[in-house]
Amino acid sequence: MTTEQTVEERLMGLLRKTLDADAPLSPDTNLVGDLGLESIQVIEYLCEVEDHFDLAIDEATLADVQTIADLAAVIKKLQRS
Amino acid sequence: MGLLDKFDAARRTRDTLSALPLNPTDVVIDEVLSATEAMIHGRRTIMAGTNNYLGLTFDPGAIAAGQAALASCGTGTTGSRMANGTYRDHLLLEAELAAFFDTPYAMVFSTGYAANLGSLAALLAPGDPVLLDSEAHASLFDGCRLSGADIFRFKHNDADSLASRLRRLGERASSALIVAEGLYSIRGDCAPLAEFAAVKREFGACLFVDEAHSLGLYGAHGRGLVEQEGVEADTDFIVGTFSKSLGSIGGFCVSRHPELPLFRYASRPYIFTASPCPSVIATTRVALQQLSARPELRERVWANAHHLYAALAALGLDLGPHVSPVVGISFRERETAFACWQGLFNAGVYTNLILPPAAPDGGSLIRCSVTAAHSPAQIDAIIAAFDRVCRELRVGLHAA
Repeated sequence: MTTEQTVEERLMGLLRKTLDADAPLSPDTNLVGDLGLESIQVIEYLCEVEDHFDLAIDEATLADVQTIADLAAVIKKLQRS
Repeated sequence: MGLLDKFDAARRTRDTLSALPLNPTDVVIDEVLSATEAMIHGRRTIMAGTNNYLGLTFDPGAIAAGQAALASCGTGTTGSRMANGTYRDHLLLEAELAAFFDTPYAMVFSTGYAANLGSLAALLAPGDPVLLDSEAHASLFDGCRLSGADIFRFKHNDADSLASRLRRLGERASSALIVAEGLYSIRGDCAPLAEFAAVKREFGACLFVDEAHSLGLYGAHGRGLVEQEGVEADTDFIVGTFSKSLGSIGGFCVSRHPELPLFRYASRPYIFTASPCPSVIATTRVALQQLSARPELRERVWANAHHLYAALAALGLDLGPHVSPVVGISFRERETAFACWQGLFNAGVYTNLILPPAAPDGGSLIRCSVTAAHSPAQIDAIIAAFDRVCRELRVGLHAA
């Protein structure tokens, strides 16, 4: 539980930092639907996430990712593999 | 949700644009007057938002060759290159492209989009790693996706970001393909191809460069940014289009790899479409000859580019980082970008308005481009229009 929260908190921190987003964030925040991010901004954010977690995330893995919690789950899975 | 409900978002976008005083997607060119002027909405307008970089769309030799091909070969081939659609002149153009790029192999596609789609879809297989610049053109992304490859995006024009991703791929890096453009078409910025080539060598990957907007503009022979940056030996595949500097339509891929001709048997966007019209091939061949024979065209477009970039920078506008025939002007507010674009339009200067999601940084841009055919007086007229509009809107230096 602690690990999951840490990943999600780090993702939210990166989101605030890289996108200068003032909107309140939670694990359920939808990256596009709630924040209105353009696709290029999502790509930039994901580049930051990859660097932060030192992971390579291919686009197909992200097909079902909509929320911060979804993204956290992908990261944790990649960290385990 | 019904089948057609997905168009609700597109309908909202269209309605928003339609509510503007002038819908930027509804501009209709009523009459083309020259390579640099057109009648739009009843007004004589300077075209400062095309891709006609060398100004060859009205080249008399190209027009004559196109007319002769129409008369001798008819209006179209009606078939695939792999069936009834390969004419002698398709092969001649491929040989001329190979000679121009100093590569043994060249393939012609029906459009630039098809060249990217068809080359990448043939080259990559499901599971192959491909490293794609985050601002790469949609056709490059679509080609990667069509192939089923594993797509990894790296930060735009960032060789460190590219290298770190290849490092994370471990052993897979040696079978990876790096995909980037030369000149980027919206902001007019150039890829650091020498740095990318060094990364490619370090990891043993392959490099694929789209020179759609660079062909005819860069390098001693006009071959593109790959030539100018001295990385031709490191670049495995170069793709490009005929619809910009060569003034027609179509695309190509050239390579030193003997596998390129085998793409013909593996590339669905090459096989399952009609081949380019004979008249298109004829005008393209002449334009390619002109590109080589008239280096003054390159000198003229660059003189115009430097003149415009310096003047717009002096107006305090937020420009891309590199001087090029494409000048991208960023605006914080979408409304300001639109007002500026409309002001220029009303002043008889056509530019491109780029709104999200097409804008690279999620913001709004005006894309202004120059050609070899613009006269110094036309460039001055474009600058004067920007100055007047910026003053009216209080942007740039006039913001205070």
